[in-house]
Amino acid sequence: MKVLIPVDGSDSANRAVEQVIASAQWLKETPQIFLLNVQWKLASGNVKMFINQETIDDYYREQSTAALATARKKLDAKGLAYSFHVSVGIPAEAIVQYAHEQKVDQITMGAHGQGALSTFLLGSVVSKVLHLTNTPVLLVK
Amino acid sequence: MIEMFSNPQFWVSVLQIIAIDLLLSGDNAVVIALACRNLPPEQRRKGVLFGVAGAISLRVILTFFAVGLLTLPYIKIIGAVLLIWIGIKLIVPQEEHGGDSVQGNTHLWAAIKTIIVADFVMSLDNVIGVAAAAKGDFGLLVFGLLISIPMIVWSSQLILKFMDRFPIIIVVGGALLGFVAGEMLMTDMLVKEWAEAQPHWLHWVVPALGAVMVVTTGKWLARRKVVSAEVVSLVDERVPGAPNNKH
Repeated sequence: MKVLIPVDGSDSANRAVEQVIASAQWLKETPQIFLLNVQWKLASGNVKMFINQETIDDYYREQSTAALATARKKLDAKGLAYSFHVSVGIPAEAIVQYAHEQKVDQITMGAHGQGALSTFLLGSVVSKVLHLTNTPVLLVK
Repeated sequence: MIEMFSNPQFWVSVLQIIAIDLLLSGDNAVVIALACRNLPPEQRRKGVLFGVAGAISLRVILTFFAVGLLTLPYIKIIGAVLLIWIGIKLIVPQEEHGGDSVQGNTHLWAAIKTIIVADFVMSLDNVIGVAAAAKGDFGLLVFGLLISIPMIVWSSQLILKFMDRFPIIIVVGGALLGFVAGEMLMTDMLVKEWAEAQPHWLHWVVPALGAVMVVTTGKWLARRKVVSAEVVSLVDERVPGAPNNKH
């Protein structure tokens, strides 16, 4: 079974990781775990005019390493195998695209990662994922 | 003073200025932060501080220049053309791995140079846009200046995310810049006399044409560019499980 866990470093996302770890004990086979962190594209035309892509990518990498840290520590502690991936784009779209590419059987994600203001302005990532995919989604509060 | 607040035109200008500041200020802070990324930590703060101070003072200087310059003939025509170009630039996506951008700056002075040049270009965009929307009203010009400052100081990535999530905002923003460019053109000393002799509908047809021009040119140029992928993969790694694990 392939499980995708999108993480953004929030407590909610990390609880989703714990849920998958717990489920590994009662599943017949150890699930194949995919961690995904999505970084928003922050580089508009003006930014790219003055800053080279390498520096921008380094910034994304640094941010995603921090976002993935807790989730990776939890999996490492249990000795579970996993792969981690970083995408740059609109979170919900990137999550669904990666889920389809890897043909995952389930997406396990935190119910509310970002703050209230971001949700109000940008929309809920969860509701957009549910709208875009047919893959079963398990929400963890 | 009170009359000013009950004038709908005043509030339209206020909204236009806020929109232009949001569109053209959000990424200034990102450039400053990224230009200082590769500096040693103790110099990073200094770089950011200098960059923010530079952006604010350049904006103040350019605003006062704008006040003086815009009373001269021809200048508003040049301003209108520049504004059309700024609007098109906003709509056309920049290709990944852009041309002559500098290498990651490891020296404080190199970082500061990048920041100053970037501050100048971005402040010029912003001040021309705000000056056009303010229509010669000094109070509005200062208002536009004041609300753009917090956007530089407190880097708001939320604005950039919002623009990324709803790309239509960028198109509407480009149209707005084209519209104020048209309005600015109609008030240039040289054009004004001629414009006043024309029927009244011309006063909104020209701005509307400016908006249409920005959007169609921007869209046309965007279509000719290689479209960058919506979602880009950056890192992909595997971590094997512990040796005592079956998998």
